[in-house]
Amino acid sequence: MSETDDSDRDRSRDEVLAAEYAVGVLSLADRKRLEARIEREPAFARLVAQWEDRLSPLEPPDEEMPPRSVYPKIEARLFASSAGLTRSGWWHSVAVWRGVAFASMAAVVVLLGLQQGLMGTKPSPVSAPLVAAMKGEGSPLALLASYDAASGRLAVTPVAADVGQPRSLELWLVPGGDAAPVALGVLPQDGQGVIEIAPAHRASLGDGITLAVSVEPPGGSPTGLPTGPVIAAGQARHP
Amino acid sequence: MPSLDIAGLIARVAMGDRAALASLYSAVSPKLFAICLRILKDRADAEDALQDVFVKIWQRADRYAATGINPNGWLAAIARNQAIDMIRSRRPAADTIGEEGLEIVDGSPDPEAVSIGLGEGRRIDRCMGELPPERADAVRNAYVEGLSYQELAERYDVPLNTMRTWLRRSLLKLKECLER
Repeated sequence: MSETDDSDRDRSRDEVLAAEYAVGVLSLADRKRLEARIEREPAFARLVAQWEDRLSPLEPPDEEMPPRSVYPKIEARLFASSAGLTRSGWWHSVAVWRGVAFASMAAVVVLLGLQQGLMGTKPSPVSAPLVAAMKGEGSPLALLASYDAASGRLAVTPVAADVGQPRSLELWLVPGGDAAPVALGVLPQDGQGVIEIAPAHRASLGDGITLAVSVEPPGGSPTGLPTGPVIAAGQARHP
Repeated sequence: MPSLDIAGLIARVAMGDRAALASLYSAVSPKLFAICLRILKDRADAEDALQDVFVKIWQRADRYAATGINPNGWLAAIARNQAIDMIRSRRPAADTIGEEGLEIVDGSPDPEAVSIGLGEGRRIDRCMGELPPERADAVRNAYVEGLSYQELAERYDVPLNTMRTWLRRSLLKLKECLER
């Protein structure tokens, strides 16, 4: 058997699998297996997309209006709140914290491990900067915030930054309770740099507060409250 | 709404534009909800599926640009796949991949068939018309209702393997006809 025969057979096998996936006749386990291939193999993903396109005229033209309650739930899942952004509620939305909490906890744990590993000694609780690793689920961006209480300077370093469009990243202090988020400042375009914390807010920066970054129009939120998606958030503590 | 506008909305969604997502929802949710409802046959399930569909659209919009396919087809596929995954988890179906030597017979081109210049939608009707009626019917029902091989086999009262052979041959013939 030549290699060409083998690859021909693989190609027609994939053709059939892509068709079966697109029609939808397979079991859940088989579908999951093929979905993993779609993620990994662009050539196979293309075959599936072609079949989906090819079969789409079979779709009947009927439409059905979904109930009004659905879209707000979608917005809540994606953005925590729709027209919302009210003083209470937004920051306490389960959707936001379900999204960011696990990621930020993991990041903080990694950070602690790293710092102790690098320094070899336990950092003094007095002189150590306040640090938060901020990361959102599925976000291309992670930021490391480090606050020096003595100078009142908060440095933000991107771990990975890919905003990809002319937007500003705004840093917020989330005090907890029913208090509204406080704008701490707009990060430079590449998400790197130092923000001078206004003296009025310095007392609020301490263990247990949350720092978050939202995507805003250039220059920062026009309303004084976050208007764009929160792409990263994390709890601050002294390592 | 024309495909071009839908494609534009998807591109804006890819850039994180929330207003574009709301516009896209207004434009296409009745269509996508109908797809979910037809497959799931339960309003509450279809509403849940529709939520998942728009979460996926938001997350995957950036991948759409690279595909170059019809935006309505791309959206419909997300809805169908979501609804089918959901119905399969409710009503498990037998696994069929890799449990036997995969036998595939390519549909041979029919030299008698003449290609007529018709729109895409009509062309698929013509190609479905070239299949034996019962098999064309099985393909359509599988697609429209999201039936599994097992459910199709029961509905047409044939063994699962027979149904699988029917469907595979029919799909390959369909492809060959559409490309003719």
